[in-house]
Amino acid sequence: MMTTALIPSPMPVYARESWAEIVKSARMPQFIIPTIALPPAFYALFALAMGQGSAEAATRTLATFGVFAVMGPALFGFGANIAAERESGQLELKRLSPMPAGAQIVAKVAATTVFSMIAFMLLYALGIAGGVALTPAQWAMLVGVHTLAIIPFALIGLGIGYRLGQKGAIAVANIVFLAMAVLGGLWMPIAVLPEAMKTIAWALPSYHLGEMALMAAGQREASNLWLHAGPLALITLAAALFAWTGEKAQAR
Amino acid sequence: MPTTASPIIAALEGATKAYGAHRVLDGFDFALEAGSITALLGPNGAGKSTVAGLLTGRLCADAGRVQLFGLDPADQRARARMGIMLQAGGLPETLTVAEALDLHAGYFARRLPTAAVLEQAGLSALAGRRCDRLSGGEARKVQFALAIAGAPDLLVLDEPTTGFDPDSRRAMWDVVRGKAEAGAAVLLATHHMDEAEALADRIVVIAGGRIIADGSPFAIKAAVAATVIRLRTRQPADRFRALPGVVKVETVGADLALLTTAPRASLEAALALDPAIQDFGVTGASLEEALANLVQSNRTAALKEAA
Repeated sequence: MMTTALIPSPMPVYARESWAEIVKSARMPQFIIPTIALPPAFYALFALAMGQGSAEAATRTLATFGVFAVMGPALFGFGANIAAERESGQLELKRLSPMPAGAQIVAKVAATTVFSMIAFMLLYALGIAGGVALTPAQWAMLVGVHTLAIIPFALIGLGIGYRLGQKGAIAVANIVFLAMAVLGGLWMPIAVLPEAMKTIAWALPSYHLGEMALMAAGQREASNLWLHAGPLALITLAAALFAWTGEKAQAR
Repeated sequence: MPTTASPIIAALEGATKAYGAHRVLDGFDFALEAGSITALLGPNGAGKSTVAGLLTGRLCADAGRVQLFGLDPADQRARARMGIMLQAGGLPETLTVAEALDLHAGYFARRLPTAAVLEQAGLSALAGRRCDRLSGGEARKVQFALAIAGAPDLLVLDEPTTGFDPDSRRAMWDVVRGKAEAGAAVLLATHHMDEAEALADRIVVIAGGRIIADGSPFAIKAAVAATVIRLRTRQPADRFRALPGVVKVETVGADLALLTTAPRASLEAALALDPAIQDFGVTGASLEEALANLVQSNRTAALKEAA
């Protein structure tokens, strides 16, 4: 059939789209510097300089800051970026092209993964320098939890980006970003927060991911894993619904 | 004009589209043929962009049938044969022109080589320039390049030459004509009548969600048989409105311009009305004047029908 020759094989399209997404973001210093440099800078300041060389504090903070490091690229890369591309008509042109429907999302996930990994690898290097000593298995689990964190935050960013204009999306992403960090106990343990705020933490993916990262790093009893993995799965499902309904609202 | 029946590239059959209570199209029929450049004209809100939106799958019809290459417009195989230049088409700011073009062309298996597309769009010198450092006209050229990159059988252009200098404009027209001669169907939405007149071999005029004229630019002008009489008079403009054949009176500088469908009768009556008239000229109406006349008389007819 003549028509089969009209569609290129999808793999190179996905690869090119992903590479373009990485290049696009890398050329935006206003995106790259805050999202990648901020978490290691905070970590160096709060955990290493103020933690007075305690290896245990450095390990605990590393686990939760790794989740924090993923939030920036995921929330802003998806939220603000999708909103900007939608507003300028780029998304529309892609939607009317024969580009496979999933290529855009795959590409954004790829870019977010690359930038998140750079951010938490920088954190790990600082952590090791600050006395963090984990077993290879613990490192592997920590990388796993931090990588897993991309999914819920990317979905939340996507839902925001589909619903709001660029300016609105940046504003909302900032609020979500800070609320997730503080109320989710990523900067300091939620034990220091008032009782009402501790309850909110249970609805936040950042809290559960932070706790799971602490388990991976041997700072928490791992027998409680389902206490956090369960709610996280539910929250991720809700985030997926939030993103999906936002995407549906685009169709006319 | 093609003499043999050309294959239908895209068609609306009884298409209906409403926004809330407002019905933009109601049982609309329309087809695009291969090798032909069709211009969609009409006042704002007439339904032009709705027609284009339905054909390209940007919008969904509430009722009726829409087909693109015999398929649903949302079908990836149909989209693979279509190139679109949207009116508000943003570009990836931080990619270069060549990178943006290469990425987009990669969605199409039949893609043209990037260098050839850059050449056709007049962008060879700008290949390495970042998209956020282009002028408005240059960005439009890149959007045109994206539209032709996949060697489309249907090329949809929405206000393509806005912001162009005359040379670039003619250059783009030549490329579009070449695509049609090679067999592509072209759908052109434009506010520039000179563009429609220069480029299109078929003009479809839409008003109030209906086709009120469909033919070659020459046939459209002939159908309304519009002529403009310019004259210099001291008489008030209102008195000329009632003359036989006159459909519209406009003040142009110190002159009056009468748009008429019966030039001889109108001129004789005008000279009788003001025998002092010394300066006058008679010219064929531009397409723009012919269209204004057409839309106006259609509105009048619709009012009479409603009364």
